[in-house]
Amino acid sequence: MIERWALISGLKGDLDTYELIQKDLKKTPGNITLFVLGDMIGPEKNCNKLLHRLINPKSNDLQPWCIYGWWEEQILLESGYRGNQRAEALRINKGEEVVKSLINAVDKSFLDWIASLQFGFVELDCGLIHGSSKDVGDDLTLDTPPLTLLDRLTRLQVNRLFTARSTQQFHLELTEGIVHSEVQDLAGNHKKEQKVPQKAVIGVGAGKNYTLYDVGTDNTQFVQAGYQLEKKKNGFGLHL
Amino acid sequence: MNQAVISCLHANLPAVEAVLKDIELQGITNITCLGDLVGYGPQPNEVIELIKDKKIATCQGCWDEDVVDGLDACDCSYPSQIAEKRGHFAHQWTTEKLTKENKDFLANLPYSIRKDKCLFVHGSPNSQHEYLLPDMDAFAALERVENAKAEILFCGHTHQPYIRELANGSIAVKVKNSGSKDIQKKEMNLPMRRIVNAGSVGEPRHGGTKATYVVYNDITNDVKIREVEYDIELTCKAIINAGLPPIFAWRLKNGFEFAERAEDASHVCER
Repeated sequence: MIERWALISGLKGDLDTYELIQKDLKKTPGNITLFVLGDMIGPEKNCNKLLHRLINPKSNDLQPWCIYGWWEEQILLESGYRGNQRAEALRINKGEEVVKSLINAVDKSFLDWIASLQFGFVELDCGLIHGSSKDVGDDLTLDTPPLTLLDRLTRLQVNRLFTARSTQQFHLELTEGIVHSEVQDLAGNHKKEQKVPQKAVIGVGAGKNYTLYDVGTDNTQFVQAGYQLEKKKNGFGLHL
Repeated sequence: MNQAVISCLHANLPAVEAVLKDIELQGITNITCLGDLVGYGPQPNEVIELIKDKKIATCQGCWDEDVVDGLDACDCSYPSQIAEKRGHFAHQWTTEKLTKENKDFLANLPYSIRKDKCLFVHGSPNSQHEYLLPDMDAFAALERVENAKAEILFCGHTHQPYIRELANGSIAVKVKNSGSKDIQKKEMNLPMRRIVNAGSVGEPRHGGTKATYVVYNDITNDVKIREVEYDIELTCKAIINAGLPPIFAWRLKNGFEFAERAEDASHVCER
């Protein structure tokens, strides 16, 4: 059986989209594991129904494996789960109203569950994180300098990093790299040449835009919820 | 022009005096200090007063930050529980000894100092607690310098002096699955960058007992590591007399290469 991962993020309380994705995935061939890379909540709509569904999947749902994202971090900050810190970055950038909306969008009974979520998963040689190994808010895109991408991969000691913070969908491979290092210390000189093994950073998208990853072939497919059937006739992994 | 960079003084007055004398003998007046004025050693106020008196540009080290913030480095910074206990004791002792004026001085030190193409930090541009060891991943090391928009990064914290040149680098990238029929490829050359670790004046951990610092010539770009002898016995006696853990004196006297840091040196304590 083909092993596939479905990577979703940025639902922000949108249960309809989640149900659409679940419906898609039931029609997708292979053994699918569903990862939810954070931002299940947001300030725009009430998130309680989605959170309830994630915690208590329906019998025919794919089991979601969730980590926390930037919006979860904000509510945990504001609710006192991070010591004395509060969601100041959100307050400064979006204003007090958005902070209030976020608090109102999530019933307090869900906070302990949100606080129990992990920062990320490492599966095989892949890191699955909302932002990056540096920070949940780290915004990696196609335009991020390759050195920075390499640093984020190196910190986690993985070959592929799946990220969601930017909301963009992309698959950037670092195909080769080299750097010469010479260290001079009190014991003498030491020269070394370091090469980069092939690595990749994959942006999984947000909301209706999600990513299917074929673990065996390293292929990604960027999908929009509801369009899966139309694409299926062209075959999995076709780059449209 | 030659300039001197010193780091990790750790309240060891005889070592600081000897190094400043060595710098003076070379006619160098431009000195930058990378922090950790206090911690482990017996003369925290005296060392701070000397640095203030000489008007030496200084950035804040991890000990300086922790003492001011009332924080102890957590257990991830120590290799064992007993080392952690000693560290906490030294922290508490230093906090009690420091005058309010000197605590204020430490509190107001900048995280970094920038001079043209040079950036001076205690640990790394990311954190006073991050160790840039000489054998760390070369690309990650280059990233620290490049993202800090510097050509030469001066750091301390490891207590091991070194000069690392990262050159002739390149990275090739390919955008897969872009929606375009053309596979987008590009290759970029990486700039040559250097990391200079100034070692430690007050608590060397490079395998020798001498205080270390570096001299940088901003015209020729040459960097030299200097070793300076000082009266270790004097500091050791002061450590014992102050009631600090005797192992701190033993470590200095033997030049024991023993870094109190986590096994994963790249780990940054988030507390």
